[in-house]
Amino acid sequence: MNPFKLVIKEILYRRISSVVILITVIVASSVAVSIFSLSKASENETRKIMREQGLNLYIYPKGTNLIDFYTVNNTGTFPESYVDVLATSKTFDAVRHLTGILQVRFPEWEDPNGSKHQIMLFGYKDEAIQKYLQEQETMGFDVAKGTVVLGSLISKNIKPGDPFVITGEDGKAYSYEVAKRLSEGKGLMDQGVSFNLEDLQQVLGIPGQINKIEALGCVCKDGRIKNARTQVQNIFADLEVTEISSIADARENQRVMMNKYGAFIIPFVILSCLLITGLLFYQNINARRREIGLLKAMGRSIYSILYIILLKAFILGLAGGIIGFFAGSAIAGYFGKEIFLFTAQSIKPIWPLFYGCIVIFPVLWMLSSWIPALLAARIDAARTLSEE
Amino acid sequence: MIGNFKTKGCKMIEIKSVSKRYYTSSHEYTALDAVSLTLSKGEYLAVTGKSGAGKSTLLYVIGGLIHPDEGSVLFRDRNIYDQSRSEKDAYRKKEIGFVFQQFHLMPYLSVLDNIRLACYEKSHYDTIDSYLEKCSLTELKVKFPSELSVGEKQRTAFVRAIISNPEILLADEPTGNLDPGNSKILMDLINTFHLNGGTVIMVSHNHDIVKYADRIITIEKGKIIAQSQADAQQ
Repeated sequence: MNPFKLVIKEILYRRISSVVILITVIVASSVAVSIFSLSKASENETRKIMREQGLNLYIYPKGTNLIDFYTVNNTGTFPESYVDVLATSKTFDAVRHLTGILQVRFPEWEDPNGSKHQIMLFGYKDEAIQKYLQEQETMGFDVAKGTVVLGSLISKNIKPGDPFVITGEDGKAYSYEVAKRLSEGKGLMDQGVSFNLEDLQQVLGIPGQINKIEALGCVCKDGRIKNARTQVQNIFADLEVTEISSIADARENQRVMMNKYGAFIIPFVILSCLLITGLLFYQNINARRREIGLLKAMGRSIYSILYIILLKAFILGLAGGIIGFFAGSAIAGYFGKEIFLFTAQSIKPIWPLFYGCIVIFPVLWMLSSWIPALLAARIDAARTLSEE
Repeated sequence: MIGNFKTKGCKMIEIKSVSKRYYTSSHEYTALDAVSLTLSKGEYLAVTGKSGAGKSTLLYVIGGLIHPDEGSVLFRDRNIYDQSRSEKDAYRKKEIGFVFQQFHLMPYLSVLDNIRLACYEKSHYDTIDSYLEKCSLTELKVKFPSELSVGEKQRTAFVRAIISNPEILLADEPTGNLDPGNSKILMDLINTFHLNGGTVIMVSHNHDIVKYADRIITIEKGKIIAQSQADAQQ
């Protein structure tokens, strides 16, 4: 008889113990998946919060007066291609996300009512991810070409979908569709308009130029500013680096703490479940001593007996791993909405984890049944079969 | 036909000075003490004796399940305990069929699947229906052991033991749990297997049962103390 069929029939016959073993796998895999998913969400959330808080690193032209940099916002420019050079440099691994920005104070913008205001203009180059670091989703504030995003204080008569008109350095009027209006509380951005970099370069008549790079997601927790500064200046001696947010540190520490928590709780839950499974398998083997003795008497080799026990563990590990993946993803999605503000809608099943689940959990559960399986293979068939 | 054998009479099993001892923390117990025995193909041997005399140990030594401390068990002139583990497994799979007092049916398999468990060639599967018919199990083939009477369970165990056409049927107190009616049915089935050329070694202390055998040996304290040719009911 096909061992698979034999194992399935045994699983269905000993439903309670099989279901308990299945539950241990589901608990272990769903806890692992949900914590991992929430940890990833927390990481993304942290980065987005850091983005909201003004990022953690600015890269700007050397010699820039930082008072001007923070207040006047009209500083010297440098080529936007610097971003791509940094993103593809093997020697620059201090940051992961790089966004080239052209940020200027525009002295006289005329609103639809004809009144003039001093506003901020931000041009965003599409975010670049450091090529030689682990791939991650972009965190940047990309603006589609031909559109703008308005700060909360900019003429409230202009609604999403309306045109935003601005007069360029060349005297021409440029019109862009308003994609959305940001909620208030975004600091400098409240009084600004965000463009696609190329659009703003056209308005200002400085093609290919930016005046800062915002850097996100430092990989080096200790001495990151020093590393980043040294690494950037080794590539571009005409650039400076400054760290701009201590909140970023607090957020990053929170993220690291979350990762440490996950690094403790996931192995703890998995090991506990494995121990329970091992005991359940031991109990299962004891209950099946005569069956195993009979298989031996019928000429089944110890390898085929090991195979039958391990196949059961594999099947339950696989089924539990798959169910646990979806349960864990659902749990992360459900609770993530309550926990996270920015990433709530983007908590989705992490598919690489699915492949991990269908490999790791069957293997772990086979390992947990390994000792009981060895004991089964050593059962004295003559003794068990002659017991009354 | 139950069993599928033709020749009869040549030496099949030779047991030479086999001893088996068990040890507990306080004493040593001799289950078999230099037992020697020869069995011919197609012979029906009954092994009797009191409980603990060593009857079942002898059966399991022949079945390749208990390694003797001394001596050898030759099947067709090859010591089965000198063989590799896989050869010994193959010996049990192909040459031996076991029937136990406790039936030892898989509780989660139907009658049909319990029998299929012992099949390893297509021809075995092909003969299941005819064996079920002969043993009055056809109507019960989809039932599970918990739904069977003890007689039906033992008949299922018997079909499972012989479905792969083993040379030797080893029966350990096969009627121990059966009423006289079911005992007779089972013994008739075993006898038919024997009459068709199968070799039978049966352990029992029931004198009504051992009368089916060609030869009866009595074991006491691990030694063969008596041996007689029976008046076989053939």
